[in-house]
Amino acid sequence: MTIWEILIFSIVKILIVVTVMLLTVSYLVYFERRISAWAQNRLGPNRVGWEGVLQPFADVLKLLLKEDIVPEQSNKAIHSLAPIIALFVAFTTYAVIPFGPDVMIFGFRVPLVVADINMGILYVLALTSLGVYAITFAGWSSGSKYSLLGGIRSSAQMISYEISMGFSVAGVLLVAESLRPEAIVQSQAGWMWNAIIQPVGFITFVVSAFAETNRLPFDLPEAEPELVGGYHTEYSSMKFAGFFLAEYANMIIASAMIVTLYLGGWHFPYLESFGLSPTLYVIISVLTFMAKVAALLFFFIWVRWSLPRFRYDQLMNLGWKVMFPLSLLNLVWVAALIMIFKL
Amino acid sequence: MAVKKRYKDLTLLQRIYIPEIVKGLSLTMKNMFKPKFTMRYPEEKFIPPASYRGRPVLVQETNGEERCVACGLCARVCPALAIEVQAGETEREKERYPEKFEINMLRCIFCGLCEEVCPEEAIVMSKDYELAFSSRGDAIYGKDKLLTPVIQLQDRIEFLRSYK
Amino acid sequence: MPKFVLDGKEIEFKQGQTIIQAAKDNGITIPHFCWHESLSVSGNCRVCLVEVEKMPKLVIACATIASDGMVVHSASEKALSARNAVMEFLLINHPLDCPICDEAGECKLQDYAYSHSVGESRFVEEKTHKDKRVPLGPYIMFDGDRCISCSRCIRFCDEIAKEPELTFVKRGDRVTIVTFPGEELDNPYSMNVVDICPVGALTNRDFRFKARVWDMSANNTICQGCARGCNIELWVRNNEVLRITPRQNDRVNSFWMCDHGRLETFKFINAKDRVDGPYVRREGSLQKTSWDEALADAAKELKSSRFNRNEIAFIGSPYATLEDNYVFAKFAAAVFGSKNIDFMRHSDPSFGDDILRREDITPNSLGAEAVGIRPGQTGLNFDGIINGIKEGKIKALYILEDDIVSADTALEEVLAKLDLLIVHATNFNKTAVLADIVLPAATYAEKNGTIVNFQGRVQRIKPAVSTVELDRAMDSMSMSRLDKFGSIYDRWNQGHKYDARSSWKILAALSSVLGNKMKFNLAEDVFNEISRSVQAFSGLDYDSIGEHGVQSKLQPLEKIEKA
Repeated sequence: MTIWEILIFSIVKILIVVTVMLLTVSYLVYFERRISAWAQNRLGPNRVGWEGVLQPFADVLKLLLKEDIVPEQSNKAIHSLAPIIALFVAFTTYAVIPFGPDVMIFGFRVPLVVADINMGILYVLALTSLGVYAITFAGWSSGSKYSLLGGIRSSAQMISYEISMGFSVAGVLLVAESLRPEAIVQSQAGWMWNAIIQPVGFITFVVSAFAETNRLPFDLPEAEPELVGGYHTEYSSMKFAGFFLAEYANMIIASAMIVTLYLGGWHFPYLESFGLSPTLYVIISVLTFMAKVAALLFFFIWVRWSLPRFRYDQLMNLGWKVMFPLSLLNLVWVAALIMIFKL
Repeated sequence: MAVKKRYKDLTLLQRIYIPEIVKGLSLTMKNMFKPKFTMRYPEEKFIPPASYRGRPVLVQETNGEERCVACGLCARVCPALAIEVQAGETEREKERYPEKFEINMLRCIFCGLCEEVCPEEAIVMSKDYELAFSSRGDAIYGKDKLLTPVIQLQDRIEFLRSYK
Repeated sequence: MPKFVLDGKEIEFKQGQTIIQAAKDNGITIPHFCWHESLSVSGNCRVCLVEVEKMPKLVIACATIASDGMVVHSASEKALSARNAVMEFLLINHPLDCPICDEAGECKLQDYAYSHSVGESRFVEEKTHKDKRVPLGPYIMFDGDRCISCSRCIRFCDEIAKEPELTFVKRGDRVTIVTFPGEELDNPYSMNVVDICPVGALTNRDFRFKARVWDMSANNTICQGCARGCNIELWVRNNEVLRITPRQNDRVNSFWMCDHGRLETFKFINAKDRVDGPYVRREGSLQKTSWDEALADAAKELKSSRFNRNEIAFIGSPYATLEDNYVFAKFAAAVFGSKNIDFMRHSDPSFGDDILRREDITPNSLGAEAVGIRPGQTGLNFDGIINGIKEGKIKALYILEDDIVSADTALEEVLAKLDLLIVHATNFNKTAVLADIVLPAATYAEKNGTIVNFQGRVQRIKPAVSTVELDRAMDSMSMSRLDKFGSIYDRWNQGHKYDARSSWKILAALSSVLGNKMKFNLAEDVFNEISRSVQAFSGLDYDSIGEHGVQSKLQPLEKIEKA
């Protein structure tokens, strides 16, 4: 492939991924509201369009039309920068996540991943660590006590849980012997899902993912009752929408990462043995990936409307005294498995 | 003061936490399939019970006259100062009547004290909860909007009498 | 001094005083309906029953002369149960129509029913019915049901108004009050019976159903009806004066005031013809303008070359306050060096009587003269000024708050000869409509000030109604609950505020425009200067005048005339 061909394919893939992401994010908000309503014996938004399906557009329109209020005491440049960083991190992370097997188009072999780089996992870890800056900046630049507290909580929480997250991933890397997401997916063909091989690592990773995305029960940076919104207290209009979108985009990233690292990625177990046509095989694989991500997203929402928020000390105890040792234990367990079974 | 033990001793299973999470998750899951309580207003209307305190109204007797004698006690007791009464003189047996009776629905807090204090049972809380106006002027309800035939207020009046 | 013991407290009394009077003088009120300090004792309500040791039965405090060493219990068990019983009797035939009754809120029967009654009646039979809504006179409405037959109104007419017009008829529970055949309750003091009626049997036809007493604010001030200067309260709701009631001042008006003062001295305040903002004559008609423009116009006209300073005359006012007249005199002297200054005397021999009403129907003629509204040695007096205008010697006239044309209609033609007529007026009266410049003056209900009555007594008037520049919350006016909590969106708070100012304020401003600064910020500043410069008022200030006034060194007019 020439450089031009690579560029064109990349741009097309980027456009598809970003469009799908944005749509998913907006509908995720809608489903979050509907599911929360069902869990509370309510109906949820059902007025805009059939059963409220146009609600996301109404929401976005409303946010766009709102006045953008910047507090007088804020650091204006950083105040505006923060939601941009949040969105940037959320969308760029998705570049390395494979959402299907390689596909032949116009005689070219195209991998269904925006950027198939061989240290993809490191890239993800690096970018998600950058995400903490968005929240910290937002908290600090707003010039508000609540925002600052939210920002501080966020930094502490992210740093604490990134450690157990990293150690959990290390277990996966040991099995896959590669940092390439594609290779990790390939290593889980059949039922060799990492969730089955290393359940403890799976659990620690999922919990850390919840913490990293600031979702309940770990949404202390927002904590409406005590911090009136935390880091985004002083945000309105599209800047607020930026954080809002970033939160949901992060949920998709986290789900996609969990699927890629632990739930076999786009693999439908033993699908290749059915002898399907290559096109059908790719379509089923992509749908499989989407279904797995969707199930995880539902799980994210379901957890949010079931569990109460942790107290700050409980959060720290859990991070350092439970999750960190468990992820280390998982590493030992995987190493032992490799020694014994020569995986 | 006796020392209170704040925590229950948790069993190991509870301390692992995961079974408890699963319990919680299953509870919310069950609720998702239960019938919903939401009433599809405005297609479906809520019909309040007699104890409901909606918009205060003036009782209109069957002969078209108001019961109110404009004593001003409702205006005096109103904690939000929503009521304004101007009395006038008539030739009827009750020589006093409200020339002007206005309730500012922006001030009204639906506490029902006017109804409680009324010596003539002339102002009662109706079941009307649909109050929308587009200007401050519209929010001031005069006698034209307040007078309600006694027949429509029968169950509220009976409710009041049963608690007197 | 002899003493007796009332409820364990030793109190002094004058020989011949009744128990109730002695108690009142010592600040103790024994409940009573029919007894009134300045009326004869009738002793028929029985609510003042007290227990006196060594007397076989309870006695009424209003008719029992106190004697040295007496031991009286007004709150003993026996006295209280008797009082309860009396209250129950009084309420037997009372209709309990407080919601309809105008007296509610200031009703003695209502108050005592709360404080001295058990709150329940054992009377199950039908109450008696008497005539309701009987007009006893032009101003009084009578409700027979509510009457508790205390006879205060009858005694008032007999003893104070000296025109017996009312009497009891029938007996027992059918007793009621009527006027004598062919008579009406129309004596000049008739409306005082409304104040002394302890229930709502007698009501003010002018004020009937206009407002609840608790919705109004009451300001202490002085009646402007005549030179007596009765102490009164102005009752205001929504920036509108609704009624006047007398206020006790034993040295001036005792408890009373006349019907003229009560009815005719407040309606102009909210009349349609109030001057609302300054008016200047342009192209033949009076047109509204701004204060700055009106004052500039007045200054320009007064300084015009059409006439010299001897051709300007000033007419002060016995209706205006001391402050207004003082600044007016100072203005005439300091700015124009004019000696042509006087005021018009208003006297009505048919108005005066030997109870309260005076022939001099102006409230402040003594004061106006004392603060300098009198011609200088070579100056013209009022008649001189009028003649001067007729002869063309006076070309400009400045009138302060007096409607001289209404008082003497012949003056209309005389004033037409003037080159310039400036008038301070509250209403567009016959004088104001002739003027070239009309400056809106605040009425007595809208300003602070002092006036001097015929006795030489200096009394304070205080604002009760707010104007554009006078604020209820800022200017120490009494405020009702509605005033306190109303907002601009409440209809009860939208009463009209007139654009009018105290005359002294207008004159001080005009004086500044003419290049002669007067440093007065408050009416009190003006009065302090008066007390420094006018011998008759030396040593007085607003604090010492207080609520009931103070005697100045001014000689009453009559004494001067007699001498």
